[in-house]
Amino acid sequence: MNTQRTQAASSGLRRAAAVVGVGNSDWTGDWHRTRNGEQPSDSYGYGLAALNRALADAGIHRDEVDGLIVGPTTAYERCGEVLGINPRWGDQADAVKSVIKACSAIQSGLASVVALVYGNDQRSAGIQYGGPAAMGGDAFLSYVYHAPWGLTSQGALYALTFQSYKEARGMTEKELGEVAVAQRHWASLNDQAIMRKRITLDDYMNAQYICEPLRLYDYCMINDGGVALIIVDADRAKKMRKDPVYIEAVGRSDLNRGATSLEPRLIDFYLPAQKEAAAQLFNMAAIEPKDVDIFQVYDSFSVHIPLALEGYGYCPVGDAGKFLREQKMGPGGKLPINTSGGHLSESYMQGWNHQIESVRQLRGECGQRQIENCRYVHYSSDVAGNAVSILYSK
Amino acid sequence: MTDTFAMTPPPVLGLYDRKMWDHIKNKDLRLQCCLDCGTTQYPPAPGCAKCLSVNLQWKPISGLAKIISWAKFHKQYLPAYPAPYNVIAVRLQEGPVLISNLEGDSPSGSWINADVYLVYVTMPDGVILPRFRLAEES
Repeated sequence: MNTQRTQAASSGLRRAAAVVGVGNSDWTGDWHRTRNGEQPSDSYGYGLAALNRALADAGIHRDEVDGLIVGPTTAYERCGEVLGINPRWGDQADAVKSVIKACSAIQSGLASVVALVYGNDQRSAGIQYGGPAAMGGDAFLSYVYHAPWGLTSQGALYALTFQSYKEARGMTEKELGEVAVAQRHWASLNDQAIMRKRITLDDYMNAQYICEPLRLYDYCMINDGGVALIIVDADRAKKMRKDPVYIEAVGRSDLNRGATSLEPRLIDFYLPAQKEAAAQLFNMAAIEPKDVDIFQVYDSFSVHIPLALEGYGYCPVGDAGKFLREQKMGPGGKLPINTSGGHLSESYMQGWNHQIESVRQLRGECGQRQIENCRYVHYSSDVAGNAVSILYSK
Repeated sequence: MTDTFAMTPPPVLGLYDRKMWDHIKNKDLRLQCCLDCGTTQYPPAPGCAKCLSVNLQWKPISGLAKIISWAKFHKQYLPAYPAPYNVIAVRLQEGPVLISNLEGDSPSGSWINADVYLVYVTMPDGVILPRFRLAEES
């Protein structure tokens, strides 16, 4: 690990900004409508629905927004046009990077009220995450480079990862099944979740392989929807109608070397990047993994969870399977993970739903699935070897 | 009735990939080797990622490799690849990791660490692909 880089973590961002408003579109209603062949809206419309709710949640007017970040699935200009926002600062990024960019912009004075808006009509528009027109190929060469040999599905990248991982670390397919079972249990306690029917480990093992060694329940769903957040500076946040949820700390480390031939996945299992991101995050917040109340992990596939457990120090390297089997991540478990049901069971909002779940847990708004006395929520994303983390706190 | 066959999914053909695919067409896969630090790399690039030298030479490879991971598709995504089929990741003796397919016999137990060697397969549409076969057990 690079000590200099770890110490250089930007502690000026610590509690500089807070989330004061969150919102999402009607995931379950739109799920049923799209399954019936309807197109309830487009990506911009889902973003608009979410923004309206986030503004109402924060108790602020659209015209107070002076910074805009849009997700990767909408064009920046058109999104700003549809939302009627002429900001003095703007950007475009995925969920975790958007939150960090918003904090940076606020801390440096480039903006003071930042709206983060994500909308995605991936289900009704028939977006392909596997196959000849695989989404993301323009940004990640590995998604398309191996097409002549039949490899374009992102699930297959994680199937290859889990195959070498389970041999290197001695984890079993049944132990991986704990992830899908636990997340479905969480979703059963969440009336905004799309997939709420509980499953057992037998259901998991009996489901068909999609790309062996991964089965149906290891894959996220694909649905339409939107998410929005309002982030403001810490002083303003204290005067808002709801208690602020601070961005306490951040951490990031990227593995680009060998990325197209999948070496960070198949050989490193993202471990060096996650360890460095963890060191930055926990140093900045001056806490340890044992102080974290909830761990939210980007979960396009279940495989992300064991990798993150080891990478961020929640269990020793090689013990993720045992941790999932004995300590448990579901309701009542030692470390609650993906308490909304995540991408596997709540909604596939590409990391955005994890942000608003983190905020709602820290506010105590989560009803049956609420974690008592929740003080710290850690979100981690490791998409394509970018290990990026946020620690949210009260 | 004319024979119909699915087209092999086309490769990414960046400036530095084209030379590699020209060699593959001749059943002679070559990879870039750095004349300054000796590193062999894949995929092709404008310079050596290890030392940033731009003195690269296309060199033949031994074709010997070990499987580092594998997966079996049970769902079809591409017309040229009806399920089930496999994808393997191999580490070449020269160092780079390639994604390909295992032709012929499969290892009886785990595929990981199995020794394989390079072969060339002509797809139904005439495209030549480098693939691998299991080495004879010693």
